[in-house]
Amino acid sequence: MASIRKLEKHQARTAYLFITPTVLLFTVFTVIPVVMALYLSFTNYDVLSRNDWIGFDNYRRLIEDSLLWKTFRNVFFYSIIFVPLNILISLLLAILLSRTWRGVKLFRTLNYLPTLTSAVAAATVWIWLLHPEFGLVNGLLSYVGITGPAWLSETRTAMLSIIMLTLWQSVGSNMIIYLAGLQGVPDYLYESARLDGANKLDCFRYITWPQLRPTTFLVSTMAIIGALQLFDQAFVLTQGGPANMTKTPVYLIYQQGFNQLQMGYASAQAFVLAVAILIFSLINMRITKAEEPIV
Amino acid sequence: MKKWLITTLTLVMTASLATGCGGNNGSTGKESGTASNPGAGDGKKTELTFWGDWGGEGQKQFETMVNAFNKSQDKIHVKYVLQQDMITKFLTSATNGGTPDVLFWDRWRTSLYAPKNVLHPVNEYLTRDGISQDDFYSESLRELSYDDKLYGLPLTVDARALFYNKKLLADAGLQPPTTWDELEASATKLTKWNGNKLEIAGFSMGDLGLFNMYLQQAGGTMLTEDGKTNFNNEKGKQVLEFWDRLMNKDKVYKVGFELGLGEGQDAFVTGKVAMLYSGPWMLSTYNKYGKDLDYGIVPPPAGPNGDKGSVMGGFGLVIPEGSKHKEEAWEFIKWWTANKDNALLWAKTSLNLPGYKPSMEDPFFKDDPKWQPFLETLEFAKVRPNHPGYSVMETDALAPNLQLNQQNKLSIDETLKKSQEEGDKMLKDNEVVK
Repeated sequence: MASIRKLEKHQARTAYLFITPTVLLFTVFTVIPVVMALYLSFTNYDVLSRNDWIGFDNYRRLIEDSLLWKTFRNVFFYSIIFVPLNILISLLLAILLSRTWRGVKLFRTLNYLPTLTSAVAAATVWIWLLHPEFGLVNGLLSYVGITGPAWLSETRTAMLSIIMLTLWQSVGSNMIIYLAGLQGVPDYLYESARLDGANKLDCFRYITWPQLRPTTFLVSTMAIIGALQLFDQAFVLTQGGPANMTKTPVYLIYQQGFNQLQMGYASAQAFVLAVAILIFSLINMRITKAEEPIV
Repeated sequence: MKKWLITTLTLVMTASLATGCGGNNGSTGKESGTASNPGAGDGKKTELTFWGDWGGEGQKQFETMVNAFNKSQDKIHVKYVLQQDMITKFLTSATNGGTPDVLFWDRWRTSLYAPKNVLHPVNEYLTRDGISQDDFYSESLRELSYDDKLYGLPLTVDARALFYNKKLLADAGLQPPTTWDELEASATKLTKWNGNKLEIAGFSMGDLGLFNMYLQQAGGTMLTEDGKTNFNNEKGKQVLEFWDRLMNKDKVYKVGFELGLGEGQDAFVTGKVAMLYSGPWMLSTYNKYGKDLDYGIVPPPAGPNGDKGSVMGGFGLVIPEGSKHKEEAWEFIKWWTANKDNALLWAKTSLNLPGYKPSMEDPFFKDDPKWQPFLETLEFAKVRPNHPGYSVMETDALAPNLQLNQQNKLSIDETLKKSQEEGDKMLKDNEVVK
């Protein structure tokens, strides 16, 4: 008995030893900054000369900040289109590419390729593709007799353009996650279902989709967090314009903190964003119900 | 016992690894320190650090000046350090003591930073060394000032003027426009549509940030004396009505026409835009890529009542408050910006208009038809208002509403009203609080 406890103790010690570096890094680069930001959100910190406690002033100012709420509306609009499409497309791709047929590896690679491009480089290329007169997209549209819009400069298409670009960039990696998820679905489930007379659609509906729940939960949560933190693409493609249609909370926080030197107020904005991410993740947890897969 | 030994060993190893890293960093730091010293000579010289965010060609231009200065005397040695994200870096360094001695400074930032006491006023140096403020454009000095204190000297001055494609204008039998009416007539005549496709835009309306300039031409100002917006009136309306005519009636431009066309495909270079407002910073690009581009420049056309207007901008050199060698830093700034020959050398190296007026009397500027219109424009150009919230107001309150107006989603009156409401709020939220 005693020797077993000794062994456990030893194992525990080793475990602590192994997680120490990670926890240290996590503390220094995540926990401390978060706590500091919370403190700063109650001050008028301007990086240079002031750091006085001003209580809830920053939060009061937030409530009246129509621009901040507009940026939240923007990412909300972005999310409700981006997240479902992202799940749908990456799942379809994964199912298509999970079979073994000639050249499937090539297609997997090609679909993953955009993920490797840096957001800024991809955005720069997309600006070109989306040019109203000389861009490839409108060029193709004109073949079928459609006059394409000025994608990035018109209020009604600017956010859609960003959705297109980010989808193009992110379905590849989600496809890989789904591919892995599909590998994990045991074959005997399909076999017994087929014996019971289930067709392909039934198989997907009653076996594949429920079995993929944890995967879908992971993919959708990451997509939501990513959506709320949208920045690079909006920064490069449209600079938040036209008419603030593509300005995002992170963009605003950056601008308030570093351009206007109102770090205290920017911290308060950042906290609101953090709370929003938490709430949306909880809602998502409810919807996807990350239950144990039925085996 | 044995397992304990392993644990301790691992710990020691990890620790040594960590310190190993630290030691490495230290030694590389030292190395770079000694590497820069030999260039300084016998170590008697004062080392100055000069930060700027111009890389590539700009870095070479800066280094040309720094080298010339280093050769000109034997007391000070300046080193140019490229900081891509200079302002953020300066923010952190200003608080922990690692400040540079001279900073390349986008002048409009002065009203935001000067109240925080991170820049060193230079008024005393100016008086002591007998440098006359009249040798600089007063507007550019005003942009470097806050509360009657001057925080540096202007290195470059620029202003927007009207660039036009000579060939396109000649083909249409037109003279460069001098008034709004002429501008409208020429632009209409120069525009070419092919069905729904715009082939040549008569006049670029891509930059709504130029509202300030049009407002001046209509005889208005952006802000009132007491720091409120001042465009929701007849004058602002005149500007938007003029834009409305150009965009919707004459259809001289299409939204997003120039976006994403890089240097080589620039719409003006390739003749797809016949006229546009631009500044001297584009001269080198147009000269480099536009081998077949024959272009001319004229001062901005005057508004309905004959008012002239353009926005002056440019860079300066400032001394951070944290610098340990302020005197030497001032020597360097003075040598570069307040000396006819050096300012001229800088101008010829970088193709910028120097801030120092006497050097503009050189034939290099006087006799060049490309520089002449800028010199004329600078005589009436005004800097942006000295309000720390001005740029936020312009980009976040005014520009979005102007864009809505340009896309016919907001009427002229609504645009001005909303811009005023949102703009006044932003000005107030971002003003200096003591």
